[in-house]
Amino acid sequence: MVSGCLARIVYSDIKHNFLLHYLLALGILLASPVFFSLSELDSRLAAQPLEAYVPLIGIILMTPVFLPEQNESIYDVVCSKKISHDIICALRLICSVVIVLAMTGAFVLNMKYSSSQVNIRHYIGSAASALSLGAVGFVFAGVSRNVIIGYMASITYYILNFAIGTKLGNLYLFSMMHGSFAEKKWILLLAAILTASAFLLRKVIRIK
Amino acid sequence: MLFGKECRKIFHSLTYIIYCIIVILMLTTQYFSDCAEKEYRPVRGEYDYGETIIEDHDLVMSNATDDLTTEFLSNRYVCYPFGFYKAVQLNDKKKAKIEKYIFEITGLDSDGIAEKKNNSMLYNFTDGTHNYSEYEIDGMPISDTVTYERFKEIMSDIDDILGGGSDYAVDSLVFRFSRVPMTYEQAIEEYDEMMENDRISGAYARLFSDYAGFVLAIIPVFVAAALSAADRRHRTSELIYSRKTSSICIIFTRFAALVTTMFIPVLICMTAAFLQILSLYGTKDMDMTTMFTLPSFWLIPNIMTVSAVGMFVTELFSGGTAILVQFVWWFMSMMTAGAAGLIGRIEKFTFVCRHNSLYYRNEFIGNWDNFVFNRIFYIAVSLTAVVLTVFVYEFKRGGSFNGIRLFGKDSIFRHKA
Repeated sequence: MVSGCLARIVYSDIKHNFLLHYLLALGILLASPVFFSLSELDSRLAAQPLEAYVPLIGIILMTPVFLPEQNESIYDVVCSKKISHDIICALRLICSVVIVLAMTGAFVLNMKYSSSQVNIRHYIGSAASALSLGAVGFVFAGVSRNVIIGYMASITYYILNFAIGTKLGNLYLFSMMHGSFAEKKWILLLAAILTASAFLLRKVIRIK
Repeated sequence: MLFGKECRKIFHSLTYIIYCIIVILMLTTQYFSDCAEKEYRPVRGEYDYGETIIEDHDLVMSNATDDLTTEFLSNRYVCYPFGFYKAVQLNDKKKAKIEKYIFEITGLDSDGIAEKKNNSMLYNFTDGTHNYSEYEIDGMPISDTVTYERFKEIMSDIDDILGGGSDYAVDSLVFRFSRVPMTYEQAIEEYDEMMENDRISGAYARLFSDYAGFVLAIIPVFVAAALSAADRRHRTSELIYSRKTSSICIIFTRFAALVTTMFIPVLICMTAAFLQILSLYGTKDMDMTTMFTLPSFWLIPNIMTVSAVGMFVTELFSGGTAILVQFVWWFMSMMTAGAAGLIGRIEKFTFVCRHNSLYYRNEFIGNWDNFVFNRIFYIAVSLTAVVLTVFVYEFKRGGSFNGIRLFGKDSIFRHKA
């Protein structure tokens, strides 16, 4: 009964609020051959699209999780319902994370099929970068209750990786391009902490 | 006064505070740390002075033809469309076209090319997972009948055949194929250019603008989108629509407020940069105005364009769409600028102008006309976008149009009952 209700929520949410985001993320991945080769790349060259391009889908899919109720009138209506708003957002987040993981996996498999030297590390590294970019946007959008600030935070994090590069230390997203994988566990940890703390921070910090 | 009200609204917005932090953070971690030490006159024989670019047409034609023949023989052309690596392989029809052009440039026929190939060393390379062989072709002849103009036409066609982003793009030719090692005398000349012609601050103003322009080609969109979306978010749109003030006054005032407020942190950083070079070099040989005039002319069009396009797309669609549009534009501009090299290669429609060096003044001055055209063009683009925003706002005000919504109950994708 409850699972049926949750399934209806997920279906309705995807249909009305998130289908366009999923299509946009898919479009970004499908457009990748316009920008670079995906075939016959060695480990480092393969990291280029996987770190600088694929993680953008994290911003697109995770940042707008709180968007449908950004309007306070809608938020008040949703809060008056029996199912907690946090549960709905958590469901959306899980859907987004699953889609990020699935799309990244499909992209990596496609590269492997095209004779590029990619392995499970590339997949984990790319997914970790996508999740951390998405988590930054997710937490800022949630706390500020403004999706524009979420996009601003995650895109700034992305730009910082271009601008100051390795000075970001363990939070450097493009480490596999330089042959290092060690940063990925920190990035994944950052994503997990930010995602988990977003709901709590939303209750504690109320920015008008 | 409306302008004051809009400015106050921006000053109190979270996006503006984050904008200020980002601008200051970016310039501190890049420009201020790079320029913390004084530049000294090069010392003879102490180090490699780098490379210099000379516009030698014979050198360009010779080097480009050698490279083209090398890539033609292995049918593997390395391109960087949008800054990312791409190895292009051509089909037989396109290969035949390239071959025809090589015949025309060199005056050789297929036997001549085969002879060159047989007299060259064959090297084996591994690129990624792909093993390939490449002949090291050197000293290809250039036919007397081929002028530099015709050569450029051929190269342009070849770049099109390769899908763009190759070394043979006309704008890349001199940059890629006319490089020579810099001598001590040339290094001294570069240094003197900075001290005498740039009068120090000119060189630093260019580098400052390069770093700031990188950020100002994207970050202002967040402030503009947030401000434009704020009326709807705070449910004050109808209240503002009902006021006597004209749409043209509201939108232009809002635009002016955005540009003014967003220029303030840039101006503060400019002043700090000026004080930094004053403390390093003193006032004696310094141009006291360039550190303010050049970055203003370079950066204000960036802020204007990003703000205006952000306002327009937000009014027409939504803030998220404005961010997406600007991000795509910024990403492509950055990648293209990176692939073209970061030294003074400014074209008429380059959005993110780059010159990531205190030196190479001549390369920048060589593109000065393009640079001036470019900046004026983007000012015009921004004003056009503001005028279009006025129209959209006026339609919304009249109630005949409510923007194109991608989500929510008015979404264009939602089935109407």
